[in-house]
Amino acid sequence: MDILIQLIINGIMLGSMYAIISVGLTLIFGVVRVVNFAHGELLMIGMYAVYLLCTKLGLHPYVAAIPVVGLLFLTGVLIQRFIIQPLLDADEHIQIFATVGLSTALINLALMVFGADLYSVSSPDIRTSLKIGTYNVLVGQVVMFAAAIVLVIGLHAFMHRTALGRAIRATAQNRNAALLMGVRVNQIYVISFGLGAACVGLASALVSPLFPTTPTVGTYFVLTAFVVVVLGGMRSMYGAFWGAMIIGLVDSLSAYYIAPDLKEVVYFAIFILILIFKPTGLFGFGRGTE
Amino acid sequence: MKLVSGATLVRAVVAAGIALSAGAATAQTKIGALYPFSGGLALLGDESFRGLELATEERNAAGGVKGQKLELVKGDAVDPNQAVGEARRLTSVDKVSVVFGTYSSSLSLAATQVTELAGVPYFELGAISDPITERGFKNLYRTNPTARDFAASMVDAIGEAIAPALGVDAKSLKVAIIHEDSLYGQTVAGYQTKRAQEKGVNVVETLPYSAKSVDLTPVILRLKSANVDVVLQTSYQNDTVLFFRQAKEQGFKPKAVMGAGGGYSLRETMEAIGAANMEGALNVDFTQYKTNAAAAPGITEFVAKYKAKYGTDPRSGHSLANYVGAKIFFDAMQASKDLSASALRESILKVDVPVGATASGWGAKFNEAGQNTRVSPFLMQWQGGELVTVFPAKAAVTKMKTGFGSN
Repeated sequence: MDILIQLIINGIMLGSMYAIISVGLTLIFGVVRVVNFAHGELLMIGMYAVYLLCTKLGLHPYVAAIPVVGLLFLTGVLIQRFIIQPLLDADEHIQIFATVGLSTALINLALMVFGADLYSVSSPDIRTSLKIGTYNVLVGQVVMFAAAIVLVIGLHAFMHRTALGRAIRATAQNRNAALLMGVRVNQIYVISFGLGAACVGLASALVSPLFPTTPTVGTYFVLTAFVVVVLGGMRSMYGAFWGAMIIGLVDSLSAYYIAPDLKEVVYFAIFILILIFKPTGLFGFGRGTE
Repeated sequence: MKLVSGATLVRAVVAAGIALSAGAATAQTKIGALYPFSGGLALLGDESFRGLELATEERNAAGGVKGQKLELVKGDAVDPNQAVGEARRLTSVDKVSVVFGTYSSSLSLAATQVTELAGVPYFELGAISDPITERGFKNLYRTNPTARDFAASMVDAIGEAIAPALGVDAKSLKVAIIHEDSLYGQTVAGYQTKRAQEKGVNVVETLPYSAKSVDLTPVILRLKSANVDVVLQTSYQNDTVLFFRQAKEQGFKPKAVMGAGGGYSLRETMEAIGAANMEGALNVDFTQYKTNAAAAPGITEFVAKYKAKYGTDPRSGHSLANYVGAKIFFDAMQASKDLSASALRESILKVDVPVGATASGWGAKFNEAGQNTRVSPFLMQWQGGELVTVFPAKAAVTKMKTGFGSN
């Protein structure tokens, strides 16, 4: 019983890590409709930036979040403006290959600059264990959990309550109609991609104290992030959050009760089943609404 | 007709001059050096090459092989495809007499197919995958220990080193085998399981996991609830870091943790985990440079030469393994009647170096498959942020500690 509860706590913490990485992808994948295979590499850039700020300037990783969020917003804007936008009217596959190419280029750039070795932000305060009875949870995990909830609620409110948020949703629902209503669609895309990337910036500041940085660190997370976004129904922030929680729990429980190397099999099986019975995802708008 | 410009003329004259002076120098024997010099494997590929480079310079200073200076021709093998391409270039364009390599097993498996067909001897100094020398090739020789040797050393260390240090019966120790689930981990763990059965070691858990896991807590909880005493882990860097961090977080305190080289051997892993948390972690690997010279004569001189040339301490044991392996083959080349593949094979099968006679402590005696049968990896331990050899006693620079980490 003790172990079950520890596994559930662990699963929720893992879920919040997936959630915070996936909300950014929800904006990019759900709104701009770009299958961004370079999403993981945005995380990688963020994590290296956090590492550099922490070791060279002595910043606390959470303080480093502020400049890194800015940096990633800018990166996202540049990627959308100069790589994706020229391809907006091209075939979808072309965009996919552009992001795959970008991903490969960024990984190799990191290999050139930093080498294949791993770097780790030293942050003993964040990796301190909080004991709740006999259960263990790290300070950094609790912060991540809280940040995930705040970010998801905040983004949801932003998308529903502000003019810009509404314009983003309108663009996501129907690009041409939004254009006719006077929404500057290209600008919306640039902002959405920037925001999505900025969320990854926040994620990287929260993840890097817990997880070592390597050039390929993004590939560890990106597939899960896509699963989470599709599971959550593409455009819903809450959907992404619950999707991430489900994956986190399945990951933790199946690794213990079934086998550590089969956990991906279990969660992909669940993913496929959900898509068969509810093709629009758990909280989906899905294709029918386009 | 266009007149030849002055600059071109100068270049032509200079080129002719260079060609002349090269012709005037002593005859050279070209040898190929096939390593990953760029890409993700470059760090240890380059470290491996340095060993070969040092051995070559030493040999040339002593007059070369058969009166001819050795000339290294580099081939950059980033991935198996490129390994094939570069092996072709070395054997057909540069016409090297022999090829040295390769550090990575997948690169070696690919490149040796080319050299075998071309009839050019291939000297493997660092790749550990057993199948490399199990394909019936006639022109392939390997000096370094294989995955099977690693697994055997790890399992044997439980009875020979860990149980005596703890003062308990080896049969009473509960052992777990955990490994990343790609070819490397699967291979080593497979040999470990077999060896453990032969030796009657009590293995209570065998857990494969993906090296891309972002969370190993479930693995640790499994080990914790099985009350495991000794963990044998075959891992890369990332999963080693996760394992140590999360074991600490979950309060998992086995009596010993042992790695199969890989992530355990690298300084960056220790730095990411923290010296205090890595304290006492055991590791089986190629001989590291902190080894007792009584068991590895020449190791001190090697480290001094390395420092003089590259300005740093060796970054891992790979350079030493390549240095020792290259020297063994240079000697065999010298003893051979000529550098043809058949003469070399005859000469190499006659090599007879006792264990403990080289700078890595290895001996050399090749079987028909070309595999060196007088090698085994040593047992090392992280102590105070340094990886030091602790077993066998003759090679040890310090006493083995029990327990692990600061938890």
